[in-house]
Amino acid sequence: MPDFNPTQYAVPLFVVAVLAEMIWAKYRSPEAYEPKDTLVSLSFGLGSTLAGALLGGFALAVMVLAYDYRVADFGAQWWAVWWAWPLCFVIDDLAYYWSHRFAHRMRWMWAAHVNHHSSQHYNLSTALRQSWTGNLTIGIVFSLPLALLGFHPAMIAICGGFNLIYQFWIHTEAIKRMPAWFEAVMNTPSHHRVHHATNPRYLDRNYAGVFIIWDRMFGTFEAEVDDEPIRYGIVKQLGSFNLLWAVFHEWVAMIEDIWRSPWRHKLSYLLREPGWSHDGSRETSEMIRAKWQARAGSEVAPAATSVATRNRIAARGEAA
Amino acid sequence: MTLSPFLLQAAGSLAAILALAGLAHWLKLGAAPVMTDEDSVRRAAGEAEAGFIAIDAARDAKGRAGLARDAHARIMVIKHHGNRYAGRVLGPKAQARLQGDPGETALEVDCGEARFGKVFLIIPDAQAWAAAINALNVAHDA
Repeated sequence: MPDFNPTQYAVPLFVVAVLAEMIWAKYRSPEAYEPKDTLVSLSFGLGSTLAGALLGGFALAVMVLAYDYRVADFGAQWWAVWWAWPLCFVIDDLAYYWSHRFAHRMRWMWAAHVNHHSSQHYNLSTALRQSWTGNLTIGIVFSLPLALLGFHPAMIAICGGFNLIYQFWIHTEAIKRMPAWFEAVMNTPSHHRVHHATNPRYLDRNYAGVFIIWDRMFGTFEAEVDDEPIRYGIVKQLGSFNLLWAVFHEWVAMIEDIWRSPWRHKLSYLLREPGWSHDGSRETSEMIRAKWQARAGSEVAPAATSVATRNRIAARGEAA
Repeated sequence: MTLSPFLLQAAGSLAAILALAGLAHWLKLGAAPVMTDEDSVRRAAGEAEAGFIAIDAARDAKGRAGLARDAHARIMVIKHHGNRYAGRVLGPKAQARLQGDPGETALEVDCGEARFGKVFLIIPDAQAWAAAINALNVAHDA
């Protein structure tokens, strides 16, 4: 069985790329970075690796157990079945789409995933802002079908690693648009900027990892609109650079809500969407979007902006 | 003594993190934002909460913070956070305290959320804003 972790080898590339983007930012968009924000984002990355080493064993054990019940078998030398790799990669990306969608739509999973969104910046360091607590959620459930289908857990992990590496480069404002054919099929900086935006138009859109086709298929795609500046972060911005608070704030809030709510609503605070409240005192992304649409009327019908500009490097001060 | 590859990688990553954050500082990336007038406070309020339309606003003398009030008498405190802004609509836990002698314009606003921190502002009509913020608590108790 190959012992290979692609993300380990990609770390030096990540560092060099962040360095290059900082130099770009120096001359083209100094506000794209903020030193304290960068420190927090990168610390998230390191902490995530350590947390994965500590807590990842359970997920691995579950995957190995599921693999024992596989419906198909690629044989003892499964890694030599070349076509299984791209197939696994595509199915894993579909699993990622649904896992990611639930990470935004179920507060339990959001409590772990919010870390990736809590920066008000969007740069390559944001990509490394990975969760420490993902292993405390049910995210593994979405990968189980792959093991049950017969893909070896190591193959799934390697494909997942390449998926993560792909997603690194799309966290940038330095690239405006990719060629139209690429924008149509692949996740890109433009599509993923939408995903990180708090503008009502963009909330809970573009969950894709590598292939944007999943969003187009399942009705969650939203194109970036050129004349609307993007605001990054979360609906209720953190307002703090405290790393531990950034890691655990939503867990704390969720547990407080569960603790204080009437019994019949406790489970809803765990399983329903972020922003849901039993007394209607808060707003979900649908509510925010509906209010925005009501305010602006027909002018804000979902945009189908075509990919007009390609490979344009964002000009200084221009909203991405 | 030999370090495991994992620990070596973690140590290397930590060194890279500190180096990159230091470089961002050295390159002077992320200059602090300044709200230049009351309109910029209103804009920041609308960005902090979609649909918050300020009908009244006060800008801190240094432009690093502000207060905004909408037509529903909701008050939002806005502060700079790095080179962005973050805001909170104040609730019954909010407290405002005038600093210095009566007539002074320095105001400390505590939104009741420890991690958001207290916001200090030097604004005209500080007393009126303080009274309005403290009244949020009274209204809740009534």
